[in-house]
Amino acid sequence: MEKIKILICMGTSGLSAGAEALAKNFEKELKRHKLAGKYRIVRTGDRGLFRDILVDIAAPGGDRVTYEYVKPEDAARITEQHLLRGEPVKELLAGEDYKQFFAGQMRVVLANCGEIDPENIEDYIACGGYKALALALAMAPEKVAQEVKSSGLRGRGGAGFLTGLKWEFCRAAEGDVKYVICNGDEGDPGAFMDRSILEGDPQAVIEGMIIAGYAIGACEGYVYCRAEYPLAIKRLEKAIAQAGEKGFLGKSVFKSGFSFDIKIKQGAGAFVCGEETALIASIEGRRGMPVPRPPFPAQQGLWGKPTTINNVETFANVGHILTKGAKWFSAIGPEGSKGTKVFALAGKVKNTGLVEVPMGTTLRSLIFGPGGGMLHKNIGFKGVQIGGPSGGCLPESLLDTPIDYESITRTGAIMGSGGMVVMDKLTCMVDMARFFLEFTVSESCGKCVPCRVGLKRMLEALEEICGGKGRPAHLEFLREMATAIKDTALCGLGNTAPNSVLTTLRYFPEEYKEHIEDKACRASVCVPLVKFEVVESKCIKCGRCLSVCPAGAVVWQKKEYAGIDKAKCIKCKACINVCPVMAIK
Amino acid sequence: MHKMQGLHQCLPGDGDKMIELRIDDKKVEVKAGATVLEAALQAGVYIPNLCYHPDLPPIGSCRLCIVEIDGVRGAPASCTTPAKEGMVVRTDTPKLRNLRKDILWLILSAYSGDPEKASQLRKVADWIGRKDLLPGSVPKPANILPALYDPFFVRDLDKCILCGRCVRMCRDVRKTGAIGLVNRGIKTVVGTGCNAPLKDSGCKFCLACVEVCPSGALYDKEKLEEPERAKKLLPCVNTCPAGIDIPRYVRLIASGKYQDALEVIREKVPFPLALGYACNHACEEACRRGSLNSPISIRALKRFVAERDSGRWRSKLAIEPPTGKKVAVVGAGPGGLTTAWYLRQAGHAVTVFEALSEPGGMMRSAIPAYRLPRKVLAGEISEITAIGVKIVTNSEVKSIDALFEQGFDAVFVAVGAPSGMKMGAEGENDPRIMDGIYFLQAVSFGKKSDITGEVLVVGGGNVAMDVARTALRVGAKKVTVLYRRTREEMPALPEEVEEAVKEGVKFRFLTAPEKIFSLGKKLGVACILMKLGEPDAGGRRRPVPIEGSKIVIKADRIITAIGQRPAVPDGFALPLDKKCCIQADPETMACSRKGVFAGGDAVSGPASIIEAVQAGRKAAVSIDKYLGGSGVIDRLFIPAEEPPGCLGRDESFCSCERAEPPSISAAKRRNNFNLVELSLKEKDAIAAAKRCLRCELRLKISKAPMPPDKKE
Repeated sequence: MEKIKILICMGTSGLSAGAEALAKNFEKELKRHKLAGKYRIVRTGDRGLFRDILVDIAAPGGDRVTYEYVKPEDAARITEQHLLRGEPVKELLAGEDYKQFFAGQMRVVLANCGEIDPENIEDYIACGGYKALALALAMAPEKVAQEVKSSGLRGRGGAGFLTGLKWEFCRAAEGDVKYVICNGDEGDPGAFMDRSILEGDPQAVIEGMIIAGYAIGACEGYVYCRAEYPLAIKRLEKAIAQAGEKGFLGKSVFKSGFSFDIKIKQGAGAFVCGEETALIASIEGRRGMPVPRPPFPAQQGLWGKPTTINNVETFANVGHILTKGAKWFSAIGPEGSKGTKVFALAGKVKNTGLVEVPMGTTLRSLIFGPGGGMLHKNIGFKGVQIGGPSGGCLPESLLDTPIDYESITRTGAIMGSGGMVVMDKLTCMVDMARFFLEFTVSESCGKCVPCRVGLKRMLEALEEICGGKGRPAHLEFLREMATAIKDTALCGLGNTAPNSVLTTLRYFPEEYKEHIEDKACRASVCVPLVKFEVVESKCIKCGRCLSVCPAGAVVWQKKEYAGIDKAKCIKCKACINVCPVMAIK
Repeated sequence: MHKMQGLHQCLPGDGDKMIELRIDDKKVEVKAGATVLEAALQAGVYIPNLCYHPDLPPIGSCRLCIVEIDGVRGAPASCTTPAKEGMVVRTDTPKLRNLRKDILWLILSAYSGDPEKASQLRKVADWIGRKDLLPGSVPKPANILPALYDPFFVRDLDKCILCGRCVRMCRDVRKTGAIGLVNRGIKTVVGTGCNAPLKDSGCKFCLACVEVCPSGALYDKEKLEEPERAKKLLPCVNTCPAGIDIPRYVRLIASGKYQDALEVIREKVPFPLALGYACNHACEEACRRGSLNSPISIRALKRFVAERDSGRWRSKLAIEPPTGKKVAVVGAGPGGLTTAWYLRQAGHAVTVFEALSEPGGMMRSAIPAYRLPRKVLAGEISEITAIGVKIVTNSEVKSIDALFEQGFDAVFVAVGAPSGMKMGAEGENDPRIMDGIYFLQAVSFGKKSDITGEVLVVGGGNVAMDVARTALRVGAKKVTVLYRRTREEMPALPEEVEEAVKEGVKFRFLTAPEKIFSLGKKLGVACILMKLGEPDAGGRRRPVPIEGSKIVIKADRIITAIGQRPAVPDGFALPLDKKCCIQADPETMACSRKGVFAGGDAVSGPASIIEAVQAGRKAAVSIDKYLGGSGVIDRLFIPAEEPPGCLGRDESFCSCERAEPPSISAAKRRNNFNLVELSLKEKDAIAAAKRCLRCELRLKISKAPMPPDKKE
């Protein structure tokens, strides 16, 4: 008889909340109650939503109960009440937020994350794994590439090049040796879809790579993964070993005569190494710096050989396309942008985490659907940054923009690898642009002048504006320099780095104007521009500011407006951050 | 030489296929594989650039060479864009001009001061024109490290624009990899691993980095300006009077091609082995490696290859058919024999007249056999007679007219400077006082010596050292060298002084003889003590007598070696200068008498073998011309080869010290004239040759394309 599964989320976030201890406790409990024959503990990857530890009790028929915020010591309670007596533990049951988070999603790439044991290849095979590879090997390699091309799958790493076309180029390129590289150098701050996929469903990525290798005529693949992802690397290593034992990797896969091997190469944490030419340099042991294209990697890549580089999420899609068909895939999403896209939703929304939606979903339905809307009800939406630090910041008026490559690009942002940060009115857009620029400045490889010096000079201008020393000339300078960098930087990272400045200048010009002309920051973020005064018309006399002030500078009495003694104030902004109505300016 | 290192290599080769494109409405035809920038430069269309260099693979980092291409998005860098058939390129639109000004502003916003006028950066900046993008902003150079004073050059990172030309030179062309980019983003600097000093980072001080720096961040400590530049950069060749291609033969030795190396030497001199034993090697004093630790052992290397002479060069020797002209050479020293060697090859009949019983001049008579074995010299002279030069010994020429009467068409006078100078001390005509050159000659020609007891040698030059060491070998119990100044100022080669000390020669510095008298059986030498005063014209500090500081030194014999003069017979009827030297044109060696040429010590006063050889070479050129020949005497034995630009990596390169040839112990030298210095072992010779800094490579680096003088 098939066992009932106890699914415990044990990705990096689950483990950090004590999931391993919880699993051990469950093992003990099952043993104690002699339930081991009936239940199977499955150590899964994360589901993309952090609720301490998520545990599902899943019966073979499909019935399941989800528990959230589970602590290791809850194992006994769940075992005794739920497993033994059949009474769900009410106070641990997942709430409405959890349901809402998953309701609006379409999980293709993330389907196995949280459902199977990533360290056990049998789990993957049981849910259809490696069927795609068998199908592919029965086809001519050109047909495989063609199938992927006709599905309309575009690169999920950022640039959105047609994957099948890339494969065709690489297949057509002359070369005795060819390579497949999986780009797992996820560098956007806050983005973790690659990590989750590698931790939760590594076999899917491996299968995608093998199929790519078959399609282009390569017999060796590399996964370039950040060294900061030790768990992903560990699971990937295990998965590669298991795939090898099963004969999916190594000499003559499925006895087809096609051989393929995968090696893991750890990156040292440089954002720029996500750029394909820099990534290749890094694998070759050189300094991670982009080189101009052409020649493209498909012509001359790793060690000068034709190379296909795809993102983790892209590879994870490949198996689904082959098993369910290109037609199925291309039925999802609008013209030009097919399939689903995983976003790392972060910022001031209720539910932060990994959200997979069909292409064409609007920003609004993502943020207010799975995202659950704004975190603080009183403080409204201001903007959303899409595409990571090199993406753009879009205002409320563009919330109905559908998520597809072309529409997003038209707004001045980029699809990127799927970073999405939601900002409320407590966010200063000038400061936000400064923050993202700070990131790109410190991650610039330093090779070309526009990116190396240009971004730094722009950052300095923004720092002056945020510091109350802004001049109208700064605005002109920012516009000119941002355009110049976009036009002249050597690689994609440089070209897109000014996007956050350009989009905030375009959509939030009034905030720049206020900073420069009125020396004011409406979000009270830029300390030199904050007066630290209470706006009585807004104050609700709640007194929260008094309780957080570490300097004793807040004066407040019940039913009175609060006040701030400027002589005592140390400008730490504790009061501003706690005020529910933005009454302190 | 390193041309076409760049993109071409990575592109599928189309052989010599040509493609046509349009650049600024100009039709341009280039070889397939060229970049757009190369195509433009070739067509005379200048596109501003800084990180591009014709010898380097392009990287497209400065972004100044951006262009607009029909059908291509944005503004690609022309240095990294391959030219394609039918491409339509614009290099100078208002948009591009504006973008270039923006980029230039950025470059200078991280640059300290104004770039020097002669620098490429300044010229490019002037060409593009500047724009104040953000009024009121001040440049913020990296300001990370102070200027670094390495041997030979200065690194001023505040003037670095990170074009990466130095790094590519070091990594891609030289393959030395001593420098690289350190840190990232705005903090990127060119540096070494762990910021170690260059000499600990595998740097080979080839200075290619300095040569290609466009911004003044790397510059030579010593200003190098045309026309002196090449001379200063290749000091060994330019210090060698005969201009032997030292880097070339050292390089050939390093790669084990000894016969090739020898032929390179033989292209310029007929005495490779004698020079290998006894050259005064001014090249080594000039060698730039000396500023790093110690110079290359050039002389010992010359000896090393000359000792391995297989005679291959002989088959390459070409003797011109007889011209019917006859040349008389007076004096069979290095100068005279060199002239004879080359004139004979030019087809003239040459007779050398030598007053002594054997040829060789000072090489035979004054340089002791323990430094230059007689057999060695005789061997090299036999090569000269083997091609038909006639040497008549024991034949002192007294009159030039007589030679012309005998039918000679030209005469080369190379009678040397064998006449010793007097001390000018009272009583110096005592028979127990002897002239140094006379003494050496007597010993060299086997005259029995009557030297015993204590010998005083007066003088501080190489002859004085030869005299002192020879005196010890022929019977002196004790030899003391008397010198007016100190060891520092001695004109003798340091190694000669050192060997003398090893052999037991004593020194009395700051002492000058004033009066010599008999003191019983011995000689009494009254000396005055000296102190050092102001430097003289030659830079050495002048000795100044200390009043009332007389001392008396006893000695059995005194040998003087304080300088020589030529002794030109009156019968030559040649005008002499104050120092009794023959007056001859310094370039043509021609004397005022028609058909008479002179050179060597007789013209210059006492000098070195190699200087005499060079005088002989010059004379051979002019005499050949005088006799109707072309005056081309250099014989190319091996075709010129392009020195490989790759040096490779060798961590121990800088710490490797000079190899000194081994020598026999001082104890074994007494009473004999056995050769003191032994040969370099092959392993040591190769190591010694590999130490060369390869200064010649820097001179082969191409020039970066500069903006045209006037913007059209």
